[in-house]
Formats: sequence, structure tokens, C-alpha cells
Amino acid sequence: MITLSDIPRRGGSPFTWPMGLFLAGLATAPLWLAPIGLYQYLGVEIAIWILFALGFNLLFGYIGLHSFGHGAYLGIGAYAFGLFQKNVDVSLWGGLGAAVLAATLAGALVGACLSHRRGIYFALMSIGFGQLFWFSAIKLRHITGGEDGLLGIPRPDLVIGGWRFDLNDNAAFYWFVAAITGLVTLVLWRLANAPFGRVLQAIRQNETRASFVGYDVWRYKWATFTLSAAVAGLAGGLFAMAQQSAYPDVMSLHQSGLIVMMVLVGGGLVSFWGPVLGVLLYFIARDVLGGLTETWLLWYGLMFVVMVMVRPEGVAGLLQGLRRRPDGRPAPLGKA
Amino acid sequence: MLALLPHIVNGLTLGLLFALIALGFMLIVGVMEVINLAHGSLFTLGAYLALSTIGADWFAGTGFGSWWLGLPVAARYVVALALGPLLAGAAGLLLELCLRPTYGKAPLYGLLLTFGAALVIEEVIRLVWGTGEQHLPIPAGIDGAFLLGGLIFSTYKFFAAGFSIVAILGVWLFLERTPYGAIIKAGAHDSEMVRALGYDLSKLRLLVFGFGAALAGLAGVIMAPIWGLRPHLGIDVVIPAFLIIVIGGVGSFWGAVIAAILVGLAVGVTGAYAPAWSLLSMYVLLVLVLGFRSRGLLGRKSALEN
Amino acid sequence: MALFTAQNIQKRFGARVVLENISLSIEAGTVHGIMGPNGAGKTTCFHVLTGQHRPDAGRITFDGQDITGLPPHRIARLGISRSFQIMNLFDDTVVLENVLLALPAFRAIGRSPTRKVFGNAALTDRALEVLALVGLEDRAWDKAKALSYGDRRALEIAVALAAEPRILFLDEPTSGLGAEATRSLATLIGRLRSRYTIVMIEHDMRFLFDLADRISVIHWGQVIAEDTPAALQANKWVARSALGGTA
Repeated sequence: MITLSDIPRRGGSPFTWPMGLFLAGLATAPLWLAPIGLYQYLGVEIAIWILFALGFNLLFGYIGLHSFGHGAYLGIGAYAFGLFQKNVDVSLWGGLGAAVLAATLAGALVGACLSHRRGIYFALMSIGFGQLFWFSAIKLRHITGGEDGLLGIPRPDLVIGGWRFDLNDNAAFYWFVAAITGLVTLVLWRLANAPFGRVLQAIRQNETRASFVGYDVWRYKWATFTLSAAVAGLAGGLFAMAQQSAYPDVMSLHQSGLIVMMVLVGGGLVSFWGPVLGVLLYFIARDVLGGLTETWLLWYGLMFVVMVMVRPEGVAGLLQGLRRRPDGRPAPLGKA
Repeated sequence: MLALLPHIVNGLTLGLLFALIALGFMLIVGVMEVINLAHGSLFTLGAYLALSTIGADWFAGTGFGSWWLGLPVAARYVVALALGPLLAGAAGLLLELCLRPTYGKAPLYGLLLTFGAALVIEEVIRLVWGTGEQHLPIPAGIDGAFLLGGLIFSTYKFFAAGFSIVAILGVWLFLERTPYGAIIKAGAHDSEMVRALGYDLSKLRLLVFGFGAALAGLAGVIMAPIWGLRPHLGIDVVIPAFLIIVIGGVGSFWGAVIAAILVGLAVGVTGAYAPAWSLLSMYVLLVLVLGFRSRGLLGRKSALEN
Repeated sequence: MALFTAQNIQKRFGARVVLENISLSIEAGTVHGIMGPNGAGKTTCFHVLTGQHRPDAGRITFDGQDITGLPPHRIARLGISRSFQIMNLFDDTVVLENVLLALPAFRAIGRSPTRKVFGNAALTDRALEVLALVGLEDRAWDKAKALSYGDRRALEIAVALAAEPRILFLDEPTSGLGAEATRSLATLIGRLRSRYTIVMIEHDMRFLFDLADRISVIHWGQVIAEDTPAALQANKWVARSALGGTA
């Protein structure tokens, strides 16, 4: 199996052909979504989940911490955005800032409690904390609105210089979300392919060795946890705008499990782009399969089970297998 | 203190029920080091199968069906109590076969596979039995309620708690006092040893998984009259089950039982004073216990940490 | 003054006392051997000295600085490097990167989000140099798990060397090696001894007696003898009790 670590030649430029394809797809989606029988809002949803999934994979695929409670940070971001609009000010950047900040703080706190856990104990504790947040969201009714959540969250206008865009227009909102997703993707790609990303993968493969060559494993884990919570918070803020509401459902174990499924099915364990493929596949399954049969989740679940059994490296792994020539060794670098 | 007593009794009963819920989960995680996230779904499946057995869903129109429905509820209930778990156990066997490719890989894969299986089972339940809430009938003898210290206790809850004690002791005796139990426990520590003794490890795993799934189903049938029946019940079951295992310590039988009772007491007593927050107390307990003992109350080192 | 000292180290696991009382003093520029029967506590001793376990009592100093109880990464950064008896490599990573990750200069940019991984020629050259030292330069772009057992042993040492240590702890470097690989390892360590202070646990008596300047014999969690190889060989009591008569 080809793994994430198997990308030796990577230089500094993120503008590889998959990135080009991704950005092109992101930029042109409104032009072809409707003609192929889908709808505009789907684009927004997919872009937000791609953002969430890519941030999550830094934790899941790169450093190998298998969180099953990551929906919590998406939810915290969504609530923070809504509460900011309702209690502080109707402001786009203020709201998104609050979303990122709240999720970052929560992530930093939980990360500090979790970063010395290993293996399945990490997974168990992450579920525990996820449930804690979910439960609190339901029960702190006077703040969060309980099971119904916060309703009627506004989409503030986007102001750039003298220009003002009304984000209540779904097309304008899509461009806004797509721009953020594209930008964050570039940053995450750079991070994953910089020394930082290599250290994360080294820690995943052998924590003991990493600490004995001088890496502060705890700190890397904590930083990664916090970072991926921050990205989830940003996605959550956008999600609150998209839904114009924030509700506890996104924080449930079910949702946290779904993001794990998406990332894994797509091939997040072997490729940076795995999560993108996974999100696309999930939403296509939901909308296309879901249009044909009400039992689409059954079929998606079965596909997932089969995938874990025979092809845990996911769709990206399949593609790599097809693409890779027998001798794919890169030319050695650094020899004068 | 005296005012607290009924709540403590209530908490203890609840704790025993939690122990019953966690029993099958514990067996599978202890012996096979697989976190069976489908545990809750197997639990629900067992309960629904019992419902269909009592209600003669699939053969009501036949002569046998009308004879069956003529029998008293008690008789049908006893049969359902056996049949539900057996069929859930059969589903467990199937799941174990699916799990085989994940052995020897990171524990994550077992977790993921059973998560997917949980989703599938839940959808199947929705498909077969519909999404509405249903009610499992129970014999008149164990129905009803009585008053104790100003609180109403349901007779059935006490029956269920008693049943839990029997089940816990039964499983414990099976593990401790029978040769099968000895082999299963050996398999938990040293699979090489089991092979060297001439036992077929894959058969052992199959049986353990089937047995664990059957216990899940059994717990489902017992709990259904208390919690009601809905397709997404699984999640309400698997979460406490695994909180209990983590608090008690993976691989420790009595650790889990103690943890279950602690969780029951925490939920029961919190329920008396802040009902809205009673379920949260489980998580607080988890964070507290694991804050001090990273392997839970009586846990030992296991491969799951890798 | 000695470069590295351990004074009255004690380590218990539950009720079991593994290290009763270990004192070691390692002079800069020497090869110091540690031997003793299985279960004598040699590997535990290494774990304690390099920070994997915290000693229950005693004091460890390096270059005059008290390092008792520091976490492994802090100890590693001071210039204390180790290899493992059970191989500890980044298996899915190419050989070159295994070494690269261990270079202090790479560690310094480890948090950097902007640099290139293989873009710094000075770093890759340095990593290739280390690989050349252990004879693995031709395998630079193979995955660590694709190497043979002997090559993996060599890579273990290369990773330990890449950290630019001032003192090198080797835990049974010949374990599992054939006669020829053992000979080439002896040559390698012979070459390294001029540059590094080396502490090494070893079962292969001839290997150890040929290379070590001094040897400590550990038995029942205590140092029961310490001397030059020649003097130890002459000591019949040590030979019989601790070496099981193999020497």
C-alpha cells in the first residue's frame, strides 16, 4: 500500500495537477451543477465539508490520531457564529473569527487532555469529549436553544473595500465559501508537505523513535489537534451561515463517525486528496442514490464495510494503484 | 441520607442494567481486542426480533401463527427471550466473518468496520420494522409498580436487575469455571498458546463474537420494555457500554461491573437533583477516572494502545 | 570529569525491582560495554539513562548537567542518541528521510510550514553522508521496511548518528546479525570510536571485548564488576557468574 509518506519529491509549489483540478472544480461548480441535474446549495455543502474533512485529516491521516468526536468542533464553530450575530454584532468576519476562536480554544483544551493518550484510548476519550459537548449543546437550552438549536442566524454582507455583496444570494455565498475553502486548502497542502507534515507522519509511524530523535511528540499532537479543531470551527461558522441555524445534530457521534467514514473511504490515509474524494462520494451517494432509493444509507454503509475489508486505502489508494508505474523512484536530490 | 436511599436503590438497579448492557461488549473487547461499535445495533436487533417473535409478525396468518398468538404472553415472552439473542448471535457470527481481514491491522479498522456494520444494521431495522417507536409486551407477573420511600419503582426494573445479576454470574462462571472459559481467557492473553494447545483460533473468535452478540441481544430483549424500541436505540446503548469498559479498564471483568454500578449510581443520584444533567454524569465520571488512572479502574496493558 | 554519569540508579516496576543500584561513569572518547545475563536489567538501564523511564532514585548527569527525569526529546536534544534492540524505524518512510528527520538542523525547521522537505541540499547531503558512513547510500530512496534485517540494523545506527550525538547508546547492535554483518558492524564501530563516545549493550563477547575500552557487568540490577576487557577475562569469578561461562 502506498502511504502518505510516499511522496518524496514534493517541492515547494502546491500547484500540482490535482490541486489545479480541485481549484478548477471549485471555481466552476456553479456553472455545471445545475446542468448535470444537481442544485446550487449542494456546492456550498460540499465545499464546507471538504474544508472540514481536510482539516480533520491532518489529525486522522497525518499524525494518526483517530478522533471520533470531531463533529463537536464544527458544532462549536456554528454556535459561536450564531451567538456572535445574536449577542455581539451582525458581522461576517467577527462571526467567523468567533467561530475559529471558540473551536480553537475548545480544541486546545481537549487536546491538552488527550495528547498523551494512545491508540484506541485516544479514540475512546475523543468520543467521550465529543459526547460531552453534544450533550451540553442540548442541555444548555438558554444559550444554545436546546434540541432545536439557534434559528434565524443572519448571513451578514461581505464588504471588500467599497464593494458590498449580499451573501443571502446563494451564488454569491457559494463563491465566498469556495474562496475560503480554496485558500485553506492551499495552506493545508503547504503545511502537509512541509517539514511539519513530515514530522507528523513520522510520529504516526513511530512515536518512540520520533521522541528519541528529539521531537516533542506531545506538542506536535496538541498543535495538530488544535489546528484541526480551528479548521473545523471555520467550517462550522460557514455551516451556520449556510443553514442559517446551528443545532446539536452536527455534534453527535453519528456525524463525527460520518466524517471518519468520508475521510477513510476517500483515502485520507494515503493521500492529501483522499478527504476531498470521500466528501464528493458521500454527497453523490446521498443525492444520487438517495434520489433512487430511501435506503441509500444502507448501501453506503455496505460499501464502507466492504471497503474497510478489502481496500482500506480508499478511493485515492485505488487511483494511486492505477497510476503508479512499477519503478516510480524519483531521482535522488541533493547530490551535487 | 435516608432521603437519598431510594435514589441509591434506583442507581444500583440502573447500574446492574448497565452491567448487563456492557457484558457482551466487554467479552468481545477483552478477548478479541475489537471495539464492537455494532454492539448497540445488535442489542436493538435482538429486541426487535423478540418483538416479532411475540407478535408473530411473519407467520400471523398461518395456522401455527394463530395457535401461537393464543398462547399466554408469558410463554411467548420466554421463547422470545431465547430466540432474540440467538438470532442476534447469528448476526454476530456474520459480522465476525467480515472482521477477519482486519485482524493483525491497527485496531482502528475493527472500530471502523463495526461502525459501518452498526449503520447497516440500523438501516435494516428501519426497513423491516419502520421508524416509529414500538413497545415490547411483558407478562403480567413482572409488570406493574410499587412504592418505596416515596418513589415509584417498577417491578419490571427489579426483575431486570435480578436477571442482570444472574447473567453476570453466569458469564463469570462460564469464564472462570469451565474449560471453554479457560481457553477464551488464554486466547485473550496469548493466541500462540491457544494454537499450541491445538485449538482453532478462528473458530474461537467466531464463537466469542457470536456469544458477545447474543449477550447484546439478550440485554436488548430485557431492556426493551424499559427503554422502548426505536431503530436508533443502538447509539444510546453502545456509548454507556463503552464508557463502562473504559472506566472499568479494558480486559477486566469486575472492573466493568464496578464501573457499571458506579455509572448507575452517578446517573441515579444526579437524576434526583438535576434530572436534565443525569446522563452527563457518565462523561464526567469518565473524565475523572481516566484523569487519574489512564487504564481505568482495573485495566491492564493491552494491544489497543498501539 | 566523566562525560556521562549515573549514580545509584534504582528502578522498580510495581513490586519488582529491576535496577537495584546502578552506577556508571563514562569518559569522553571511550567505548564502554555493558554485559550481563538475560533479565539482568541492561535494557531497562538504557531506558532509564535515555529518558524513556524515570528512575525511582539516583542521579544522571551529562556533561556536568543533571538530566535525571527529563523527557526523551529533551535528552535527545542535548546530544544523547540511542539505537534500539527491537527495531524502531519510520517503516513507511524512505531511508533518506529516516535519517533526515533525525538531523538537528531538520528538527529546527520541523515546525516550519513553508520550507521544502528535500529542498535543502545541505541537509540532504548531510543525510547522504551519514548513510554513506553505514554503507546505505545506495538504498536512500527505498522504504525502510524494504531493507534486509542487517541493513535495518545499520539504518538504526545511522538514525542515531544523524542526531549528531556526543554520546551514542547502542542496544545489542549485533542482535540477529550473521557473522559477516557482525564483522562489518565491528569495522563501522571501529571507525566511529574516534568520533563518538559509545555505550553499548552486547551479548557477543568477542565483539564486545574487541571494541570496548571498559566493560561494566550488570547482574541482579547491580554493577557487579567494572574493568578493562583484559582484566575481566582474567577474573574467573565474573566470567563464571555473569557470563555463564561463555567467556
